[in-house]
Amino acid sequence: MFFRMIKGALFRQKSKMIMIAVTIALGASLATAMLNIMLDVGDKVNQELKAYGANITVVPKENSVLNELYSLDEKEETAAAHLKEDDLGKIKTIFWGFNILDFTPFVNTYVQLQSGESVKLTGTWFNHHLALNTGEELDAGIHSLRSWWDVKNGQWIDEQSDSANENSAMIGVALAEKLGVTTGDKLEVKTSKGSKTLNIAGVYDAGGDEDEQIFTTLKTAQELSGTKGLIDSIEVSALTTPDNELARKAATKGPASLSPADYETWYCTAYVSSICYQIQEAIPDSVASPVRQVAESEGTILDKTQLLMILITILSLFGSALGISNLVTASVMERSNEIGLLKAIGARDYRISGIVLTEIIITAVVGGVAGYFMGYGFAQIIGHTVFNSAIEMKPMVIPVVAVLIIIVTLLGSIPAIRMLLRLRPAEVLHGR
Amino acid sequence: MKRQTMFLKMITASLLRRRSRMLVALLAIAVGATILSGLVTIYYDVPRQMGEQFRNYGANMIFTPSGSDKLSTDAINKAKGLIDSNELVGTAPYRYENITVYERPLMAAATDFEGAEKTCPYWRIDGEWPSKNGEALVGKETAETLDLRAGDTVTLVYDLEGQTTAAKPSEKAERNQNSLEFKVTGILDTGGNEEKYIFVSIADMESLTGKSDIFDMTELSVSASQERLSDYAEKISSEVDGLSARLVKRVTQSENTVLSKLQALVLLVTIIVLLLTMICVATTMMAVVTERRKEVGLRKALGASNRSIIFEFMGEGLLLGAIGGLLGSIFGFIFAQAVSINVFNSSIQFHWILIPITILVSVLVTGISCVLPVRSATDVDPALVLKGE
Amino acid sequence: MSLLKIKNVSKIYGPLKALDGVNLTVENGEWLAIMGPSGSGKSTMMNIIGCMDKPSLGEVILDGVDIAKESDKKLTEIRRDKIGLIFQQFHLINYLTAVENVMVSQYYHSMPDEKEAMEALERVGLADRAKHLPSQLSGGEQQRVCIARALINHPEIVLADEPTGNLDEANENIVIDIFKQLHRQGTTLIVVTHDPEVAEVAQRTVVLEHGRLVKEIINENFEE
Repeated sequence: MFFRMIKGALFRQKSKMIMIAVTIALGASLATAMLNIMLDVGDKVNQELKAYGANITVVPKENSVLNELYSLDEKEETAAAHLKEDDLGKIKTIFWGFNILDFTPFVNTYVQLQSGESVKLTGTWFNHHLALNTGEELDAGIHSLRSWWDVKNGQWIDEQSDSANENSAMIGVALAEKLGVTTGDKLEVKTSKGSKTLNIAGVYDAGGDEDEQIFTTLKTAQELSGTKGLIDSIEVSALTTPDNELARKAATKGPASLSPADYETWYCTAYVSSICYQIQEAIPDSVASPVRQVAESEGTILDKTQLLMILITILSLFGSALGISNLVTASVMERSNEIGLLKAIGARDYRISGIVLTEIIITAVVGGVAGYFMGYGFAQIIGHTVFNSAIEMKPMVIPVVAVLIIIVTLLGSIPAIRMLLRLRPAEVLHGR
Repeated sequence: MKRQTMFLKMITASLLRRRSRMLVALLAIAVGATILSGLVTIYYDVPRQMGEQFRNYGANMIFTPSGSDKLSTDAINKAKGLIDSNELVGTAPYRYENITVYERPLMAAATDFEGAEKTCPYWRIDGEWPSKNGEALVGKETAETLDLRAGDTVTLVYDLEGQTTAAKPSEKAERNQNSLEFKVTGILDTGGNEEKYIFVSIADMESLTGKSDIFDMTELSVSASQERLSDYAEKISSEVDGLSARLVKRVTQSENTVLSKLQALVLLVTIIVLLLTMICVATTMMAVVTERRKEVGLRKALGASNRSIIFEFMGEGLLLGAIGGLLGSIFGFIFAQAVSINVFNSSIQFHWILIPITILVSVLVTGISCVLPVRSATDVDPALVLKGE
Repeated sequence: MSLLKIKNVSKIYGPLKALDGVNLTVENGEWLAIMGPSGSGKSTMMNIIGCMDKPSLGEVILDGVDIAKESDKKLTEIRRDKIGLIFQQFHLINYLTAVENVMVSQYYHSMPDEKEAMEALERVGLADRAKHLPSQLSGGEQQRVCIARALINHPEIVLADEPTGNLDEANENIVIDIFKQLHRQGTTLIVVTHDPEVAEVAQRTVVLEHGRLVKEIINENFEE
């Protein structure tokens, strides 16, 4: 009989129950969407912050000490240490390899132009295609690591389409103006190791020192500097976790100062310092250090964004909770007549509460499931419009939303049920 | 008594004497309005607040000499004066000189440390910032080379004749050199070129070199959009002689990208949250109105026309919407303020315009959500209702 | 001319004939009781006379207007101007005070007038309870408020549906006394009831059974 009554209430009062279910669905969808976005916003914003370029630089060990002694007079060729080009792939094999979004090697040398002028020439990857042992494929290079470059004319060198033309080069806007060259022109360069004719594929405005440089392919630069198979430095762009106490301790005092448990935690968290440490482990004789300007700021902005989203999420959860419990209260109160009748024919309070609660919970489950999928939709709409990528749906959101909905509907029912239990059947039935 | 008075009396009586039900509805509307005004305030304030966070990336504008002469304090101050002082987060002038330490050629940079702390918030210092003359900050790489630690002293030697290459020790005495001893207060870790330099105060640099009022460049951190920054840059370059202002593209361009995404995110979230809240308010209002079908039936039996019933219920709904909107705009501001203080450690600007907008929107939403159930309630057959159905 | 003329009226709900060819005339100033067991069509009769429902067949001429042919909107106007309704369950608006409940009726009719509303309450002996909410009034008091509300616009017909159904004897007598007073003032009264005591005091009683008028009793002992 209990179930027949519930069935009756659910199916015969269809419109009312649908309204409750719709409200619960809306609340649940809001909760789902907001929680998922909140949990994913860190990664998403982190990806966006990659626009600031690399947050880790890797240089050869000795170089990091020696370089500055010579770099004051950078026009001298440095005969210092190098990293091996073959080791580059190892960067993606570290513990946090998955968090390495992009990296590019650099070979720097000074070349003589026909006019006798000496300019800095850098060999690098533009959009180098990497097929890793792990099966992962990646386009790495400065095309994404120098996202702020404004290509004035010509275009980015596409290593994948015209790999035949290794002598393609891009030239900084300041240098191009000084030399009076533009896209399509040829430029003779020579060093003590050889000479090349570069084809200018594009002119860029970097808004900095790079405006007076020439960028070309790694191979060309290696040939010009006579460092075949060797590179000077690597820039790495990695997704990192904002630093905390532990990370700061590890960074200032060195990982060795950590207790084994702390070390484990530190090593297995994507702090910029642990990623640097892992890169050093992977690439022999290298020193990886965070670019503070990028790494530090990223942390702050990520923290702020996440906190902002958490607070907005709390507000919207609060809003949907109140919305749901409100409606549940209103709709239970509406049924005072029916409840009065049940009491008049002798129903016990707990039975009445049981019936009302069961109905509400069944409705809540239906609404909650529908809401979860609606929320999924909302999250994806936001993900695609804002970040051009899907929001990852975390399974942990499901139980959170479920518990939330059940608590909220139950809480919403309490005042209504208390009121119903206080009803005196005679009053209700006589319409007072 | 006028009809209008009775109308108001009925509405207020309904709101005041049916307290618990009306509180339910009011709560719903107030929460909706809170979310509206809170999120909209946040939406408007995010670019400003986040923009300040983005200043962590350091300088986004630099002044460089446009001719062969170096920058003078006057030119820098004149250029600075063209920027709205509220937007100026910090400025740090730089002067680079070649010096030697233990006969090793090094680069010394002179700057205003207070300004540098603001333009380069990402600098990590192991030790203290220099606070007075005679103190220096040493870049990490240089510190390692020279084996310096915070607390050590270092003597910088400047060749007054401008010779920069390392001189043989034997020639030292014959050369016209000037030297100053500095106490190292901290080691600078930036991950960039700064790690190679030794930073000293401007006054120290002037006494070391004997030359004053010359700067190589000035870094500025300005809290403004990219467009505004380029306007400033253009204006400064054209109005100040011998100085050209440039944007640090890496910072401005990227900030533009990220900030616009963030704002789009908050906008979309605001829209979705608002939509859902409005629907929640609407369903609650529907429930509240539907509950009163019997009363509608009675009023009809007493001879009320559909029009006047709709008027009364709408009047009630609108009044409720206005009160809820007012409450909501207050709570919304409190919420936005709390968010701002928690997230950004700064208070939010109060937008007065949001109060009428919030009230208007909540009145509209409640009004619209009342229309449907009230309309369907007017279809009620008074006879059926009064028979106790 | 008669105030109300019901000619051959039937009301059909699906297979059910709630009213089946009823003919009834009510004169101005008459006091009529309609009796009958449950399901005899009393309520349907009351709804039709009260302009809350229209007959399926036949004519209902109230004050010269055939309400069967009028629009719902027009019916509302007729109800407002010519009918005063008294309910078994009182149907007071629970958030308005007694005097405000009376004023609601004025409000829909023309102009609310607190003085007039107070006078109406005085007539039913409730002047001192005017500022009370329905929940603070007894059943009898609520019914008197309902009567005051029905009378406030000077309707042509006062239509009462089981006016004493929810009242104890003392209150029933008070209500009947009020009816008598109304009758003396020349109000046309139609009382639908199954209580013989209430029917007895009327001038004339008609009895409905299965949707038909089966009996008509003229009260010989009716005291003017």
